[in-house]
Amino acid sequence: MTDDSRTLAALVVIFAPLSLVSVGGGPAIFAEMQRQAVTIHGWMTAREFSDLFAISRAAPGPGALLATLIGWKAASWPGALVVSLAFFLPSSIMAYAAARLWNRGRGSRWHSAVEAGFAPIATGLVLAGAFAILSTEGRAILAWTIAFVVAAMRLWRPTIHPLLLLGFGAAVFLLAHHLG
Amino acid sequence: MISTDFKSGVGSRLSHPGGNPEPSSCGEAAMPENEYPPPKPAAAAPCGAVQLFLLFSQLGLSSFGGGVPAWMHRAFVQRRGWIGEGEFSAALALARLMPGVNVINLAVLIGQRLKGAAGAAAGLLGLTIAPSAAVIGLAALYDRFAGTTGLAVMLEGCAVAAAGLLIGMGLQSGGRIIAKGLRRRARSPHSIGAPAILAVVFVAVGVLHLPTVATVLCLSPLSIALAFRYGSASRPDARDDRR
Repeated sequence: MTDDSRTLAALVVIFAPLSLVSVGGGPAIFAEMQRQAVTIHGWMTAREFSDLFAISRAAPGPGALLATLIGWKAASWPGALVVSLAFFLPSSIMAYAAARLWNRGRGSRWHSAVEAGFAPIATGLVLAGAFAILSTEGRAILAWTIAFVVAAMRLWRPTIHPLLLLGFGAAVFLLAHHLG
Repeated sequence: MISTDFKSGVGSRLSHPGGNPEPSSCGEAAMPENEYPPPKPAAAAPCGAVQLFLLFSQLGLSSFGGGVPAWMHRAFVQRRGWIGEGEFSAALALARLMPGVNVINLAVLIGQRLKGAAGAAAGLLGLTIAPSAAVIGLAALYDRFAGTTGLAVMLEGCAVAAAGLLIGMGLQSGGRIIAKGLRRRARSPHSIGAPAILAVVFVAVGVLHLPTVATVLCLSPLSIALAFRYGSASRPDARDDRR
């Protein structure tokens, strides 16, 4: 009982600050999660951690649900709930405050300028993110081909449901795997 | 779906002779190939917070392999026109700059824009509750299926295709930014600078792996200053982006 609550407390202490420190997202946070969950607290082995990482990446929804998975692994459903609150709530409250501030300025000249100024930056970041994902892929040529076919289909026929395109990627990878 | 499409098409055609510039051609200009009805300004709350929660949940449960921003772009900008292209880009960049999980920040920003505090909650809860259950379910089943390598391979294929969804979204808005620079008769430092800034961000973050936030903080003052000084705010065609 006390062990359980100690684990839950540890989860809050780890994930609440991570929520507010994790600017820009990405590998740094996952490395810190691994250090805490595997090395410091021993909630799982390194192998189990990398399994959870792979699952959170492939599963639908934000990849950051890895945090929820760690909570679940460490302390079952209460752990998942506690981690979700600690990790997602503080930053979301900040995002909400920022959104209110941002939307209050709607219509002003600086607001339009910030919006227009952010457009090329956001686009560059989106493309860079996709590039980063694809360059870590093992089957590089196949991965790039699929990604560009999917992108072309999205542009050529925007009404095609994206799930069909995801299914296409899955099918091609499965086929390539079986053909060796 | 078809009938509303038809009506809005007729409506905009009829109202042009009446001298009303309002029915925006921006939707068609921005997405010439798009078959969805043209986006409308999201002045009124388009639906209730509960429906918004269900919509976010649906997006959260569909986005196998990631690519959540591309799903949100499709749902809120392309299909429903509740959020303008420019607004969505700004929200994407803001979501990256703020602490926390990027896609959840994006959902909170969009939710707040559409339905205030309840909408923000709908974004946060929609992207976490049902997808959490799904990811935990997958993890619980994982040991049982760990031997069947086919599953892992298929999920990898999904992740690759999801990156393709993001590339599609990026190429679309990148194309729009470049086209704007080419189209405008009076070219400004802004219309030429924007594609250059796009390229610098891509190389810095994607190729050189420089830190995202530092890159954004360095380049955004320049980009915003160019937009403020030469950009669109004082020009009529500037409004294109906001609808």
